[in-house]
Amino acid sequence: MIKMEERMVRIYVMGKEYRVPAGLTILKATEYAGYRFIRGCGCRGGFCGACGTLYRKEGDYKLYTALACQTIVEDGMYLVQLPFVPAPKAIYDIEKLKPFGEVVLSFYPEVARCVGCNTCTKTCPQEIEVMEFIQAVKRGDLERASELSFDCIQCGLCAARCPAEIKHYHVAQLVRRLYGKYLAKHSEPLKKRLREIEKSSYEKEVDELMRMSQEDLKRIYYSREIKV
Amino acid sequence: MKEIAYFPGCTHLHTASHFERSALSVFEALGWRLVEKFNWICCGTVHGLSTDNLMQNVSAVRNLARAESAGARRIVTNCAMCYNTLKQANEMVKRDEDALKNLNEFMDDEPDYRGGVEVLHSLQLLREIGLDEIEKRVVKPLEGLRVAPYYGCLLLRPREVAIDNPERPKIMDEVLKAIGAEIVRDARLKYCCGSYHTVDRKEIVLSRIDEIISAVRRRGADLIAVACPLCEFNLDKRQKFLNKGGLPVLYFTQLIALAFGKEEDCLFEKHHVDPRPLLKERGLLR
Amino acid sequence: MLELIDGYPKYMRESIEKVEETREERLKTSVPPMSAEEREKILKKFHPDYREDSRRRLRVGPNAGDLVYHEVADILEARPLVDPKEIDLSTVDYEVDVLIIGGGGAGTVAAIFAYYEGISPENILIATKLRHGDANSMMAEGGIQCADSEDDSPVLHFIDTIGGGHFANKPELVKALVFDAPLILRWHEELGVMYDRNDTGHFIENPGGGTCRKRLHSAKDYTGMEIMRVIRDEARNIGIPVLEFSPAIELLTDESGAVSGALLMNLETNEYIVVRSKATVLATGGFGRLHLQGYPTTNHYGATADGLVLAYRVGAKLRDMETAQYHPTGAAYPEAIVGQLITEKVRGMGAMPVNAEGEAFVYPLEPRDVESAAIIRECYERGKGVKTPTGMVGVWLDTPMIDEIHGEGTIRKHFSAIWRLVARFGIDITKDPILVFPTLHYQNGGVEIDENGWTGIEGLFAGGEVTGGVHGKNRLMGNSLLDYNVFGRRAGISAARHAKRSSFRELTLRHVERFNRMLDEAGLKEDKRAPILLPDYRGERVLARSLKIRI
Repeated sequence: MIKMEERMVRIYVMGKEYRVPAGLTILKATEYAGYRFIRGCGCRGGFCGACGTLYRKEGDYKLYTALACQTIVEDGMYLVQLPFVPAPKAIYDIEKLKPFGEVVLSFYPEVARCVGCNTCTKTCPQEIEVMEFIQAVKRGDLERASELSFDCIQCGLCAARCPAEIKHYHVAQLVRRLYGKYLAKHSEPLKKRLREIEKSSYEKEVDELMRMSQEDLKRIYYSREIKV
Repeated sequence: MKEIAYFPGCTHLHTASHFERSALSVFEALGWRLVEKFNWICCGTVHGLSTDNLMQNVSAVRNLARAESAGARRIVTNCAMCYNTLKQANEMVKRDEDALKNLNEFMDDEPDYRGGVEVLHSLQLLREIGLDEIEKRVVKPLEGLRVAPYYGCLLLRPREVAIDNPERPKIMDEVLKAIGAEIVRDARLKYCCGSYHTVDRKEIVLSRIDEIISAVRRRGADLIAVACPLCEFNLDKRQKFLNKGGLPVLYFTQLIALAFGKEEDCLFEKHHVDPRPLLKERGLLR
Repeated sequence: MLELIDGYPKYMRESIEKVEETREERLKTSVPPMSAEEREKILKKFHPDYREDSRRRLRVGPNAGDLVYHEVADILEARPLVDPKEIDLSTVDYEVDVLIIGGGGAGTVAAIFAYYEGISPENILIATKLRHGDANSMMAEGGIQCADSEDDSPVLHFIDTIGGGHFANKPELVKALVFDAPLILRWHEELGVMYDRNDTGHFIENPGGGTCRKRLHSAKDYTGMEIMRVIRDEARNIGIPVLEFSPAIELLTDESGAVSGALLMNLETNEYIVVRSKATVLATGGFGRLHLQGYPTTNHYGATADGLVLAYRVGAKLRDMETAQYHPTGAAYPEAIVGQLITEKVRGMGAMPVNAEGEAFVYPLEPRDVESAAIIRECYERGKGVKTPTGMVGVWLDTPMIDEIHGEGTIRKHFSAIWRLVARFGIDITKDPILVFPTLHYQNGGVEIDENGWTGIEGLFAGGEVTGGVHGKNRLMGNSLLDYNVFGRRAGISAARHAKRSSFRELTLRHVERFNRMLDEAGLKEDKRAPILLPDYRGERVLARSLKIRI
């Protein structure tokens, strides 16, 4: 076990005080304090959005947001997790859609209610420019909207805070799929390779390798040309 | 080339791209470049309908703050709706210090807005450039074309933000005269087009546009000129449901671009009522 | 408190200066790849897989006599969570054609393809331990392999995979893997996955450890997340029901030993749920959270190898379980992110492992086990690692080289996840290297399947990390995302076909009773229970005072 820093800090888990070692993430500190997570804990690496957390600090009026697994505890943090956000997603058949802003608005009309308050951007633990992405959707610029929202881990904190009741992360998912499917150019070499495989072009070669002795395989492997 | 900070507005990126293209072309011919100098967002018009009297100004004031910190002292926009929203918010915060303070505090991640930006509609910029200058650039005067300049509400109301005399507006008339058009006047050209009722109560819009179009038609208008993407949508696209034979509706900037010989920037194909047969018949289009 | 300069204490800064001094020279040269003999030597001496004290022979079950890690043996030889006598199987809560256990990548792909194969959504059920999409699939950073470029071919992909797996892979699985890859990538394109592309629309491809061509397709360094969220969105659009926070705690079998359903547990209410199915797909992922040998892990909270336990008890055979994959570059500093993945794509795009003295000591793109062994040697035999304030030892991964090679802005564009991960602690990887040490990453082996994802047990199919054979004794980078797509698909299709020609069977826990008797006969008396479902990271003090009182 790795030795932690000796210094302890006070945190308040849903209002209740615990003393935990400094330097721990909110997630590990809460576990140290004795909690065993069922909800509110996922990949523990900042990719899954399970551990969205709201907190305030003593003497500070602001409401902060964080991923519990990516944020170090500070003395005097008042913490609560938000492991679930009620935000139904639209159901659609991607095959039948067209890549236009109007299409996105038809599934998520509340996008038009954006008042430009920027709370979503301030809320985002990934520091995505969420409002700018919503604005891009409003203008029908799906490419920009896709790029701006790409790092979204779908924790839902933005949707929980939005006064216009927008479900940003669901909107972003639809936008990126429309972009990836209809607006991004697709690969020609991939299609060519698919046709070759359908014609069993490489089948014989691989079958021969499968029949080879391990020694022969090793020889081939270690003498193969590396072109990277 | 002179420069001015430019606020396109969301519609200019798709449904009203012909408004933008023709406008940029016209101003360039007049020696002005309209530049997107700051990271603009929606003007905030939709929540103009909201009841919270401060929140509805956030979007507009955020734009003004961004314009100011980008060094812009004036911003120009083509869209009457954006103009109205930005201008009203601007006037309100200049009048009401507390409101401005509250808005600045709310937008704590933006530099404070100090009220140092002026909002212009592109018609005002044209008037400033001068009717003579416009006349000088005309290569194809729109002679014999009877145009009804439709002002609608947003350029004229409320009075504090009107770009001209709200009872007897002339600003668009003058610009159109400068390019050789004949002006058709009617009181109904200041009526509301029905605006956002187009979303939920289309019948209101249809009765309004029927009245407007019938009136100018009786006075012999060949077409209507507009300065607002929503007016254009209602007057042009909604004619589909009138079944009365179409009357073309064009942005005033398209008419100027045509007179300047910039047909390629007019994108006439983007209208529901195709203006091209009429313009061809009058010898204005090949 | 220790004073930090841009995220690092002063003594670590001194070592970084040495790294900076040699950077220009290192940009021009590289350590050559190892020969077969060198590889074998270094693995034997330094890789945890070869340590005498890390493993033991299984005493019960289909793989009795096989060598596995202690932590794996502990759960395979553990007692079931439930007493069969206390479970009432006569009331069935769900009756479906295809039950999928696991809501990560493999499970989701299996569900979608079962639907494509003609099973209606309401006759499919995904049961998953945490939320839909909570899985290692979400965390994969670097990319997915597919031999689709002009100078590449499925044949080369086959050779790379077999060689990387120490020639222990099941060849027919590798064949399926490499031949299905283009089909999977095309499917992703059609679903709208946003891969990194060049101007022609073809993919930007990078090399990975042990690949002889540039074959790695990525979506920035969020590749796994991008694929997972798109396929999850598709599954939701199709309307496939998902039971979240409801892991399987046992499979159910009939008289003949065929799998006929599963017993789930609602983690929030503690009630059990009985599911009857015509076909069952096991897609429960791997074992990182068992922390083999005390290693930190890159894995998801739920990666506790539940599927291995369930499958083992119904008699499914496991393979290649004596190995584990340690990713060469887990974060070793700062403490808060120890063990988290620093994707191999970082090395693929030019960053080099460098010791405390600023010297390069290994070819950056060896297969993962070899690369890991070389880093362990550098730290513990040669003593040229850097010790962190909390006592971990690691080597530098010289990230600023990436921008030097590909131009400024490359790191920000291609590695926004990694950049963000360490920027939160004040470290800027465009300017400074990061300290790394191997971290437990992947379960190379698992439940043996055939090329159709069948486990050999009637009614039971499997796909993804829970299975064994595809990767032999060491997986190559970019083959796991591919694996779960290829074999998730195949398992889903096979399960659908099986369901169409089968009817519902009797539900019993007889295999559990049988397993209990086997443990008794082998004299295994310890009261260890499995599956363990979730790891326990509560503080020692709390655990020491924990009362076993039920409220």
